[in-house]
Amino acid sequence: MKSRMPENRSESMKQEFLKKWIKGLQIYSKNSNKMTILDRKNAIKQSADVAIASTRNAETQWSRAVMARIASKNETVVEKILGRKVLLVDKNKSRSIITCSKKIVRRSIVNAHRKKARVVRSISSVVEDGSIIAKKMVKKRTRVLKRLVPGGEQMDEVSLIKETLDYIASLQVQVDVMRNIAAAAEILGRTERLSF
Amino acid sequence: MNRGGLPEMLHCLHAAASEGADISVLDRQRSRHKWQQDQLLIQQHHQQNQPLPYFSDNSDQLGGVFMSLNGDHGGLHELLLGGAMKPDPGLENGWGGDLVGGLNYASELEKNYAIQRTVSCPPDVAAAKIAAQEAALSSAAGRESSKKRKADKTQTLKVIAEEKTEEKKMKECFEEDSKITEQNSNNNNKSSTITTATNSKDNNNNSKEFPKTDYIHVRARRGQATDSHSLAERVRREKISERMKYLQDLVPGCDKITGKAGMLDEIINYVQSLQRQVEFLSMKLAVINPRLDFDVENYHTKQNFTGCSSSVPTIGTPSEMMDQSLLQFNSLGQEVSGSILEMLVNPMDVSLRRTISAPVSVPHPFLDSSSLNQQIQHVTWEDEFQNIYNME
Repeated sequence: MKSRMPENRSESMKQEFLKKWIKGLQIYSKNSNKMTILDRKNAIKQSADVAIASTRNAETQWSRAVMARIASKNETVVEKILGRKVLLVDKNKSRSIITCSKKIVRRSIVNAHRKKARVVRSISSVVEDGSIIAKKMVKKRTRVLKRLVPGGEQMDEVSLIKETLDYIASLQVQVDVMRNIAAAAEILGRTERLSF
Repeated sequence: MNRGGLPEMLHCLHAAASEGADISVLDRQRSRHKWQQDQLLIQQHHQQNQPLPYFSDNSDQLGGVFMSLNGDHGGLHELLLGGAMKPDPGLENGWGGDLVGGLNYASELEKNYAIQRTVSCPPDVAAAKIAAQEAALSSAAGRESSKKRKADKTQTLKVIAEEKTEEKKMKECFEEDSKITEQNSNNNNKSSTITTATNSKDNNNNSKEFPKTDYIHVRARRGQATDSHSLAERVRREKISERMKYLQDLVPGCDKITGKAGMLDEIINYVQSLQRQVEFLSMKLAVINPRLDFDVENYHTKQNFTGCSSSVPTIGTPSEMMDQSLLQFNSLGQEVSGSILEMLVNPMDVSLRRTISAPVSVPHPFLDSSSLNQQIQHVTWEDEFQNIYNME
């Protein structure tokens, strides 16, 4: 992988992410005694998402949106866990994140509904108009990208691309670390099995 | 003599014109009258001094009057030209209006001259005064309605057109006169026609200059609006394209694609693949680890070992350490290398310490999903995973 990001930054990000992720996992494991494999998977994914989002210190829209989404997905229990987890991760900024997250959750839910309605309308109108193909294509793809990037529905084009840039960089870090951990765990599992 | 006087007057008037746009039309007229009277006096004096045949004398006088008229005309146009040549401040001070007045005045004067010519007497002061008053009035009106400059300009254009037609009439008159008058006056007429021609040229220039300045002015106004708008738009587009470039760098396989839609396609695919990878990896981890605190325990042990990690007998620089760990990861599918044997002794600590303390930067093939799949195929884990999945 060609590392376009400055080495130091990406490495420090990786370390930070790993620390936070493991702390998150800790909290999940404390709260859940018996989990199915899917529960575990969700827990791992959510903790990883929160960890990568928290590495951005709520500076970016997508990270805030991720936090909000995860807080909204899992009800009060998970929210509490997240709150605790966030507190564990970052004592200074956690409170603002938590207080923000609740508001954002409500806002994002409401906005998401609104935007969905708008998007549907605009699609139909665009199709009816049949304007320039290239512009249409770009618009269509921008819409798709907005759906992909967390919190992208509320962004304009400039900030969307900026956020996408940041999001991709973060995802790369996340995938990188997770893959390494998975590989390590795999080896360990294999070795354990071998030793058995 | 007259020819000598003409440039003199022109010069004088031109100087007066170039002195400032503030000179009122009346002043100009006064100076012109003065000059004309002087000229006539000189002419008479010249006639008296130079005994010429009566016939030719008369014709000379006639020609002189013509010349003076024409000269005046030219001077006026010079004035107008000078006024028009004056840059923006003149325009802003309502020069357009003044010019309208001037042009009206010019047409008035020409009418007067037509009368004068037919009568062939010294200029009628009363008529000139009336003309001057009219001019002043019109100029005042022009100043007042400086906001309606466009309308005024159209008016001026009309006036110019009228003037042109009048000039044509005058030319015809001159030609008729030239038929009557002698060679001397004929020459004068020629010169006068030349002057009128130049005047008409000047007029054309003026009429050209009007829309030009208007155009520039309007463009400046509109341009400011459109400029700021287009500038903002340009800045926005530049921002987007700049970030798209960064994205192009960040997203593999996006370098060759030109066009925004294609790039967005690539970006979308890449983001989706990354998100799926996260899903997949979390699933994988969930499958591999029977308990969630699996990693956590390791992490704790790792934390306990942090003090020792520096004393771990690995090769000094972190990059080399990284390479070693990468080697381990790459070679896992095939065989258990010496380092992995080492890991067997103290498995989790070493591996995790490696992953954590030597922050992992995996080579390119390792990140590829294809290589990942290959790796998975090597490992028996996939079967296990499927079994578990079926059980669920």
